Amino acid sequence: MRKCTLLWFLALLAPALALAAPNPKLAIPSFSALAQKATESVTITLDPGLLGLAAKFLDNSDPQDAATKEVLRGLSGIYVRSYTFDKDSAYQQADIDAVRSQLTAPGWNRLVETRSRKTHADVDIYIMVDHNQAIGLALIASEPRQFTIVNIVGAIDLDKLHKLEGQFGVPKLDIDPPKATPAPQK
Amino acid sequence: MSKDIESEMRAALRPVAPSEEFSQKLVAKVTSRRSAALKPRRVASGWHPLAWWSGAGVAASVVLAVGVHHHLEQQRLQQSGLEARREVLQALRVTSQKLNLAYEAVKSQSTSLIDEQSGA
Repeated sequence: MRKCTLLWFLALLAPALALAAPNPKLAIPSFSALAQKATESVTITLDPGLLGLAAKFLDNSDPQDAATKEVLRGLSGIYVRSYTFDKDSAYQQADIDAVRSQLTAPGWNRLVETRSRKTHADVDIYIMVDHNQAIGLALIASEPRQFTIVNIVGAIDLDKLHKLEGQFGVPKLDIDPPKATPAPQK
Repeated sequence: MSKDIESEMRAALRPVAPSEEFSQKLVAKVTSRRSAALKPRRVASGWHPLAWWSGAGVAASVVLAVGVHHHLEQQRLQQSGLEARREVLQALRVTSQKLNLAYEAVKSQSTSLIDEQSGA
């Protein structure tokens, strides 16, 4: 009887625990209005199933494919939205703020924040850490005629990401995985 | 004269017992006819040729349909896989471009800081 009560209690507690656990997947809006205005748009939604399928079609003998396969191992989602416009200020900051506000949630830490006066390009890189392991990455890049949101979900091995250097032109950012979970930055 | 004819006819039409060879031939003929008559009946009661060909045709169609379905499924899976691969590479390319942007900004900031320090 006591065992049964305990099981019921755990069953009731499970959804609450799931909600409390850090979720590195961002709720990215559809941006359908912006997609119509954009001259070029990239919408990529890769869930675990598609990532697994893509990994099967990567050739181990090809260095780029092999490095990509290494990065994909442990990932459970890649979501990219990128819009390019033919004139300045075609999008509003509020469009991005809907995503940026989610990155104030516990677990997210801002790793890099760059503001370029010359190119007017702002890039923010956030990382979610759980038990000393990066489990999510978010990147928001806003330029006068382009904005990009990238959300990578899963066990991200930054060393493996470094190995992509030269494959996709990924630079070494001297990013080291945080040793402990720091307090979230607002 | 008429009596001669009559006696000749009687002599010619008198009952004669058949030879042994005749009866054997007759039995053989009857037996072969019976077996020939029985053969089509046996076919009709079992697999009619038309039914046999229809069954074979249906079986062949099923095998062909399964084969075509499997081939199309493989083709669809391959297309999805190649599309997913293309998307993964594109996603990483976009990510790398933006990381490059951040890297360039960080590098230019650190260079200007060094310049300021050396100037001071």
